[in-house]
Amino acid sequence: MRSALAVTHSTTLGAAPGTNSWRRRLSHALLYGPNVDRAAKAKARLGLAIVVFALGYGVIAGRLVMFAVAPESQLVRRSNAADAVATARPDLLDRNGEILATDVRAPSLFAEPHRIIDVDEAVELLTAVLPDLETAEVRERLSSKRRFVWLKREITPEQRVAVHRLGLPGIGFMTENKRVYPNGVAAAHIIGHVNIDNQGIAGIEKWLDRNGLADLHLAGLATDRLQQPVELAVDLRIQHALRDELVKARDKYKAKAAAGLIMDPRTGEITAMVSVPDYDANNPREALDPTRINRLTTGVFEMGSTFKALTVGMALDSGKISLTDSFDARTALQYGKFTIHDFHAQNRVLTVPEIFTYSSNVGTARMALKLGVEHHKWFLRKLGQLDRLRTELPESAEPLVPRNWGELNTVTIAFGHGLSVAPLQAMMGVGALMNGGYLIPPTFRKRSEKEAMALATRVIKPSTSEKMRYLMRLNVEKGTATKADVDGFYVGGKTGTAEKVVAGRYSKTKVLTSFTAVLPADQPRYVLLIMIDEPQGIPETKGFATSGWNAVPVGGAVIARIAPLLGLEPRFELPASDKLILASVRESR
Amino acid sequence: MIRLINICVIAALFVAAAYVYKIKFESTQRAEQVAKLRTEIRREHDAIAALRAEWSRLDNPARIQELARRHLALKPIEQRQFDRLDQLPERPTPLVPAGVSDPIGFLIALPELADTPTASITAPKKSER
Repeated sequence: MRSALAVTHSTTLGAAPGTNSWRRRLSHALLYGPNVDRAAKAKARLGLAIVVFALGYGVIAGRLVMFAVAPESQLVRRSNAADAVATARPDLLDRNGEILATDVRAPSLFAEPHRIIDVDEAVELLTAVLPDLETAEVRERLSSKRRFVWLKREITPEQRVAVHRLGLPGIGFMTENKRVYPNGVAAAHIIGHVNIDNQGIAGIEKWLDRNGLADLHLAGLATDRLQQPVELAVDLRIQHALRDELVKARDKYKAKAAAGLIMDPRTGEITAMVSVPDYDANNPREALDPTRINRLTTGVFEMGSTFKALTVGMALDSGKISLTDSFDARTALQYGKFTIHDFHAQNRVLTVPEIFTYSSNVGTARMALKLGVEHHKWFLRKLGQLDRLRTELPESAEPLVPRNWGELNTVTIAFGHGLSVAPLQAMMGVGALMNGGYLIPPTFRKRSEKEAMALATRVIKPSTSEKMRYLMRLNVEKGTATKADVDGFYVGGKTGTAEKVVAGRYSKTKVLTSFTAVLPADQPRYVLLIMIDEPQGIPETKGFATSGWNAVPVGGAVIARIAPLLGLEPRFELPASDKLILASVRESR
Repeated sequence: MIRLINICVIAALFVAAAYVYKIKFESTQRAEQVAKLRTEIRREHDAIAALRAEWSRLDNPARIQELARRHLALKPIEQRQFDRLDQLPERPTPLVPAGVSDPIGFLIALPELADTPTASITAPKKSER
């Protein structure tokens, strides 16, 4: 086609010379020089032009095909200039899909001082519409040399309309993401909170930022509501019920603080975690008050008799001590210049179950001594009691372990004094004693049993776990925790009353009471911890302030309230623990 | 011949130009529409988020508990009030068997229901009847 075109062209040109030959020849000589074959040159030029145009059109056609084939995602998402100051965060949901934290859009008011004509007028009008603005501060900001100043973050739509109506030049709005916590106080210690720029500064919110959200925001991608919500393990209903009971208990026993934890020992999921006094996540300033810390992860405590469960577990798992063995608890245990007394002293030889149900300090201490210091240390380390426990929550506390761990330390740690651990950590250990012997790190996110087993390490034998469950149940049937025997849920539990250290000495009046429970004891689904800090004796408890009079009844009330919510089926007329749990241990042998 | 081709080509050029203009115009319009819909979707998303936040604020257990305490005579459920489905009693056999054309007549004719009063007045004694 190209050659045909060229031929036609040359023939048209070639026909010309015959008519006005001299004039043509003159112009030809002037324009091209005397001896040039004009036809050949034209042909070459034409060819060049055709090639260039063909290339041009080829590129266009190619691009068109590329546009048609490539999906739209190739286009850069341009964000609106009036958005995207504060990070968009994914929603936080509880395990049933209830919203714990979400973003809403809120306008914020800003000013460009160089564009403001009359500062006095602007200040007057703005403070009239927004009465909570400080006049002096607004004046200072508007008279500053900066090109951009915030006047007020997060105003209401009505205020926005009112300010808009003022028609002031140099005043504008930006829509920002504002984090709201519709359930306020309910799960504040778990969720944490954000700062004014929507960056997580505590709890799960901070964990989100650490796990890539902050990078996403820096890349300018976290502006839109496109992120997958994060599902937590917490159950809002359980969380509320637990908190409600703990608030009541704290008032009733005039305690300094109260805390509670519910965990699934099979997966390590934390279904509820409350520490009162707590704070409203919508008002993060409250969180600065040191009395409002989360006692379960950020505080370390001497857990008292609750720790005896770990000691007895260690003893039974060693194979050197069995349930039928007995230990001398006739007199107080003399160790150097220290004397270890029993609170419920029986002054006779006690069997292992009796040591557990009477909560005998002397008995547990003798048990630990029989196994030795190194074994004790090794077992507690295996159960994760000596190292800092890290969960999703950024706040965590290191356990206070004695530097020179001698026999005296083993004696006191056996019954829960002399070693301070985070309560969550102790519950992880108790969970391992209950669930058949697997140590599973606790989590605040949803986790399936399969995922949990991948993380689990076997720490004790399954038969030891069964024996421990028997002891826990026995303690509720006829031990120190009878007030928590909620009909139908086969509760097992261990009480603890730890004397607090005041000015370097163990105080007789200031105690930390706790109650660790497992339900149902024959096939554990949940473990529960109730802790009350400095409860007072009241007429109803006959002036006593030990665990059996406060933490245990609170635990019972909590169990009665939450067990139906957790989907546990009440079973009545179950045989006693020695028939139901212990029998299966004997069979499996 | 050549002239005809030229005319055709020029005509084709005009047609193509007009067509391209039309497509360009339409695509601009569509793009604007897409942008508008995007903003609208975004606004709707924001509205949904705000409403959901409001909903869960109203729905939060502490508030419901307070309202229930104030306005309802309900009490927390007790363990003994739960039962299993397989322990439900059998459904009673219906008085009227299926397929009876006049169920009310059948009921009146039933001998064991003869003395049952059908109104809220007390039944007259047998001697007064």
